[in-house]
Amino acid sequence: MAAISLEGLFKSYGATPVVRGLSLEVREGELVSLLGPSGCGKTTTLRMLAGLEHPDTGVIRIGGETVAGPGVRVPPERRGLGMVFQGYAVWPHRSVEENVAYPLTLRRMPKAEVATKVREALRWVRLEALATRRPHELSGGQLQRVALARALVAGPRVLLLDEPLSNLDAALREELRAELAALRARLGTTLVFVTHDQGEALALSDRIAVMNQGVLEQVDAPETLYREPATPFVAGFVGGANVLTGEVREGAFHTARSGTVFQLPADTLARPGPATLVVRPEDLALGELGTSLPLSARLFLGHATEYRFPVDGTLLRVVAPPLEVRPGQTLKVQLRKARLFSVG
Amino acid sequence: MNTSARWLGLFAWLVPLVLFAMGPVVLLLARGAGAPGELGWEWLVSEAGALGNTLAISGGAAVLALALGTPLSLLLFRTDLPLRGAFTVLFTLPSAIPAFIWGMGWLSLASPRAGYLNRLLGEGTLDIHGPVGIAFVEGLSGLPLVLLAGAAALRRVDPALEEAARVCGASPARALLTTTVPLVLPSLLSGAVMVFLMAASSFGVPYLLGVSASPPTRVLTTRIYELVLLGDEGLGRASALALALLLLTPLSLLATWALGRSGRVRLSTGKGLASRPLALGRARAWATGGVAGTCVLLVLLPLAAILLTSLQRSFGASLTWEELTLSHWSGVLLEPRTLRATGLSLLLAAGAGVLVCGLGLAAALLQRAFRRLGAGVEAIAVWPYAVPGTVLALALLLAFSRDWRFILLDKVAFVLALAHTPWLLLIAYAAKYLALGTRNSSEALAQLDPSLTEAARISGAGPLRAFIDVPLPLLRPTLTVAFILAFLSCATEITMSVLLVPAGSEVLGKLLFDLQSYADPAAAAVLACAFVALVVLGQAVLALVARRAAEVR
Repeated sequence: MAAISLEGLFKSYGATPVVRGLSLEVREGELVSLLGPSGCGKTTTLRMLAGLEHPDTGVIRIGGETVAGPGVRVPPERRGLGMVFQGYAVWPHRSVEENVAYPLTLRRMPKAEVATKVREALRWVRLEALATRRPHELSGGQLQRVALARALVAGPRVLLLDEPLSNLDAALREELRAELAALRARLGTTLVFVTHDQGEALALSDRIAVMNQGVLEQVDAPETLYREPATPFVAGFVGGANVLTGEVREGAFHTARSGTVFQLPADTLARPGPATLVVRPEDLALGELGTSLPLSARLFLGHATEYRFPVDGTLLRVVAPPLEVRPGQTLKVQLRKARLFSVG
Repeated sequence: MNTSARWLGLFAWLVPLVLFAMGPVVLLLARGAGAPGELGWEWLVSEAGALGNTLAISGGAAVLALALGTPLSLLLFRTDLPLRGAFTVLFTLPSAIPAFIWGMGWLSLASPRAGYLNRLLGEGTLDIHGPVGIAFVEGLSGLPLVLLAGAAALRRVDPALEEAARVCGASPARALLTTTVPLVLPSLLSGAVMVFLMAASSFGVPYLLGVSASPPTRVLTTRIYELVLLGDEGLGRASALALALLLLTPLSLLATWALGRSGRVRLSTGKGLASRPLALGRARAWATGGVAGTCVLLVLLPLAAILLTSLQRSFGASLTWEELTLSHWSGVLLEPRTLRATGLSLLLAAGAGVLVCGLGLAAALLQRAFRRLGAGVEAIAVWPYAVPGTVLALALLLAFSRDWRFILLDKVAFVLALAHTPWLLLIAYAAKYLALGTRNSSEALAQLDPSLTEAARISGAGPLRAFIDVPLPLLRPTLTVAFILAFLSCATEITMSVLLVPAGSEVLGKLLFDLQSYADPAAAAVLACAFVALVVLGQAVLALVARRAAEVR
């Protein structure tokens, strides 16, 4: 049985549609990320799941029970969830242990049991030593852990995380990401994780649901998503691929605006007609063969060098070994591997 | 909040506001608008003097407050003047203590014969009576409005602007005068407009310094009072004057809005920008002396004069140690009339404080629940604050001079008989100061992240439980502040108290007014000292609460 099932969710704010016909199933114990740029509807989807928003149409089931649908509207407090908010939402007037104890107190649990469970939850997030501290005495990373302990303490059916790592600096983010993975492996909770950071999603998730403008573009395991993006958007957002629009003619790709011609590799499935070309920076080569393009910038990345060429008003990015070239020079760019999406 | 609960809440909140504030004022306006037709235009022209005096005095007060407030706010909030904090506290006293008491202080200092200053300078040198004296006292008691506007604006001026002027080669003083001053001027002007409004609505000072003078100076508020005393025949005329007075409010607010708009464009939004205070250098001693002298003369001296008057056997007698006595103090403070007035005033102030907090918090919540309509909710709650006390009191007098009978569902009938009861005072206080509760709560609520409450819901709390557990404790310091502010305002309120106290009852504001006007200045001075003590105590508590609230965050 699916832990969560979303069926045909629609939600608009006034005249602006935010989520348009979203359907998704999350299996028991699975970690699914909702990934997409800001404004794509991922947070709204999470909030509908939490019961903080009500879908205009569509059905939400948690553990087989319908919590939102025609005539059904289970309020958030009766959905048995845990949630970590983007700003953590740690209550400033309560100490760390009071924050964590709150969900248990509401369940009328005996005091001794509350104390035991709070201690256990604080041990999970390694905050035992700070139990009596006030939130204003804590750092961002520590607040994040308080929020996590509070969300987990009552043993939720599903844990929802709304960009939990985005307010932290890079090093702390790495550390908490690893901790989250370890915690999840230990507790086996079903997780829904909202993020706009594709690296985070790729590293943590069992499956990733990529959203764009309120629509689900693709749901797949990270590797599948990376290797076989279903749409140009997924390829661009998840793999950081170059995306060009144009037309396929006689085994070559002609860009729409400038008519720049790229020879397609022999193994590319190319049907003639309008198409979108998707190619990763590392699948382009600089050398003797290919399309002549003027170099506009050269960026040293450490492990490699990125070269940028203006094509059709965007920059074509190529990642290749270091070369002694200067911006302004003309180089030959060759496609080694590409993916074509027919338009229409 | 779901839709039907929202509308039900709005309705429940609107009923008392419409019934006890909007309705009466609208009735008064309707009556006032009909008055010229009823009484003839000649009568209206005969009252033009009062309107002219109101405009001239209020304008004078605004100019004085601006002239004093501009250099003071620059010195206090932009330079390294020593004791800035202490000076700031002292210079906010004029607004915290009722203007009537400052009028009493200046009467002690500068009444033509017996005033203490005139005894030093020679009899008749100064005369606080008349339009100039009224404008002077009103301007001083409005000074904090300009100072606070200046402080807020100065905090928002990007220090980089002044630094840029310095880099271009301007001296520190020149940089200040050519960049910062023009930027904060619109805010200072809007503060001055507020002083204008406050002075136009003021009743106590023009009564004290105008009505008993010869020739008497009449303004709209004191004319309204005189007409109300005439009984029913005067009420029609009083309503017409009230309408004229009330029209000043939207006009001034429009001016403020226009000034604010032209000023806001150039001020940085966002948090307070720390700026290095301008070093006064060699001018420091002069500036300190000037500010200290101003403070002593304008703030401390009138209060000292009241204290001295309360201790003198008789006002006007020679100043010797033998003439000092505590008999007025024991006489006034132990009198049953004073005790009754104190009891009723404190009870009414506490009741009004609770209403202000409750209805104000409800207004803030409704404002949030209705988003776009919320601005309307705030306007309804804040609007009575801008209505002059004389007008609000007159409106309540007129509306509830007869009993209202309501019949619900053909069965339940109830009668609202409020005339000649202290309830009318409670309503007036609560309506007038509701803005304090609304503004404070809505500002505090806006700073609360909604996810704090949502986190409580997810944790398993229902809507009511979540509200009690999360926003309410976080709003408590704010509500305490609003309560204390409303309590102090009501306990020391004079204008509406004078008009609305029923025969046989007594409240502090009315008692002070009566003692000063008809009895004995020494006895009034004792009560005034008690008012000042209450205000200072209240401000100290406020400062304490504010510091605690800051610690939680």
